[in-house]
Amino acid sequence: MYQLSAIELRDAFLKGKYSAVEIVKYYLNRISTYDNQIGAFLQVYEEKALQQAEKLDKKKQNNEKLGKLAGIPFAIKDNILIADELTTCASRFLTNYRAPYNATAIKLLLEEDAILIGKTNMDEFAMGSSTENSALQKTHNPWNLKCTPGGSSGGSAAAVAGRLCPIALGSDTGGSTRQPASFCGVVGYKPTYGRVSRYGLVAFGSSLDQIGPLAISSADVALVMEVIGRNCPHDSTSIQSGPEEYLSDFKPSMQGLKIGVPWKFLKKLADEPKKAFESGIEKAKALGAEIVEVDLDILNSSVAVYYILATAEASTNLARFDGIRYGQRSTRAHNLDEVYDFSKEEGFGPEVKRRILLGTYVLSAGYQDAYYRKAQKVRTLIIKSYQKAFSQCDLIATPVTPFAAFEIGSIKDPLQMYLEDIYSIGINLAGLPAVSFPNQLTQEGKKPLGFQLIGPQMQDRLVLNMAHILEKELPFNYAIPELVKEKTHD
Amino acid sequence: MADLNKETIKKLTQLCRIDCTEEECDAILVDLQKIVEYIEQLQEIDTTDVPPCNHVLEMVNVMRDDEVGGLLDREAFLANAPSHIGGMIKVPPVLKTQEKEV
Repeated sequence: MYQLSAIELRDAFLKGKYSAVEIVKYYLNRISTYDNQIGAFLQVYEEKALQQAEKLDKKKQNNEKLGKLAGIPFAIKDNILIADELTTCASRFLTNYRAPYNATAIKLLLEEDAILIGKTNMDEFAMGSSTENSALQKTHNPWNLKCTPGGSSGGSAAAVAGRLCPIALGSDTGGSTRQPASFCGVVGYKPTYGRVSRYGLVAFGSSLDQIGPLAISSADVALVMEVIGRNCPHDSTSIQSGPEEYLSDFKPSMQGLKIGVPWKFLKKLADEPKKAFESGIEKAKALGAEIVEVDLDILNSSVAVYYILATAEASTNLARFDGIRYGQRSTRAHNLDEVYDFSKEEGFGPEVKRRILLGTYVLSAGYQDAYYRKAQKVRTLIIKSYQKAFSQCDLIATPVTPFAAFEIGSIKDPLQMYLEDIYSIGINLAGLPAVSFPNQLTQEGKKPLGFQLIGPQMQDRLVLNMAHILEKELPFNYAIPELVKEKTHD
Repeated sequence: MADLNKETIKKLTQLCRIDCTEEECDAILVDLQKIVEYIEQLQEIDTTDVPPCNHVLEMVNVMRDDEVGGLLDREAFLANAPSHIGGMIKVPPVLKTQEKEV
């Protein structure tokens, strides 16, 4: 069963091949077998998932109408609220925080009969590119346990790569679904900004954050986007449009598609990732796409822009964690100032503190024009560059990351870690939809390398449609790590 | 940039109300100096007459009828409060606060 995509699993459930209880028991069993080595999950909902499955089986027996996601177990990144369950953001600050309501994305999943199987590890408050900033546990890459799964949605990516569940939700502020998807050999999606409601997603950089699925295939992602990609009155930045059908409107070929490649911007790419990317481009050509060169040199400044704007927004958003209304309050505090000072000191890890301080610096009197304002202006230039590029092509292709997964503990310099995001970050700055899907494994170490397709705003369906066509033709071909393969037939 | 020193870090920790040890401040100073030096590269980009981007979407004001919607009840809200009494959140004395030097 573990090889099945979410759509295949749902179809097997609908046809009566497996009951929902069988599916849930099967995946719970895989979690208990493999997750002690991977460390993807922070909480597993054994009882609740089985109860949900039993209900669903009854519903099916009674011939009631079943939802689009019936029987599919979902893992959820631990910065998305599920009512009555812990939402820790992998932070000491929120270790005991129980969500009082469902995020809109969760509510929509449940309405379509998805089964929630657990919460996944992440970099604290989604700040990081390796999941090493989790205050709660380490997550390992199922392709190579010495390596990180990427981040910040590293737990969700590792869970899907390890086939501990067929699909998961993550969030993406600067590459946080796409980069871990690339490191773990799964598909990761960042929707058009405003496509998925941020209501119930713990805010990091509000002008950049989007919830997005991580899955085995782009078709699975599209199925989830049909469900969660809709307007929400609780999020004032939610796009005012109805839900869209994706899968039924997928075109059968790439014929006539124009793909732009910013070759000059990619010239620093190392040998192996470059060759892998070029062979992906050749494949797209063979499938009928036309390749044109586009100019996105401005993206060389995207990391600088991002780490000004994202930290500025984070410093504002995280001010709410003050130890008064929820979260940990320091027991050392004897007056109000100490409640703030000590609770934050004890509750936040080093990367979160660093980003809050940097954000406070770029917003502080005397520096706001030089840093924050300047970054906002360069953001405009980035958006304009993409717009110009999209006047010459339908989609843009780039790698997802400069390298394959790195070893745990190998990157200690925060700036070096930030620079890992060079190919993913511009997309968030411009609010574009982008998908990362596995291209091939590296020669040495057999680590996945991803391929990225980027679309203009609102072209979510086209992005996933073309990824769906291309991913099937790439050498990776939905490979599964040896570690989690079952030796006998299931 | 030139004035990013230990005093600046101390001031920042006060502004965002995070108590940091001397060692933490030292480490953060080293990191921040490197990061700020990196983001300085933006100064080389000509942004004359470029408007700042406040938002990536064409935003419209979202209006709704002035009706009470789904509110959390008090019990659900207080369940996460570190300390509460009589239906209200309890905090240490506010008025007796010893003012720190800023």
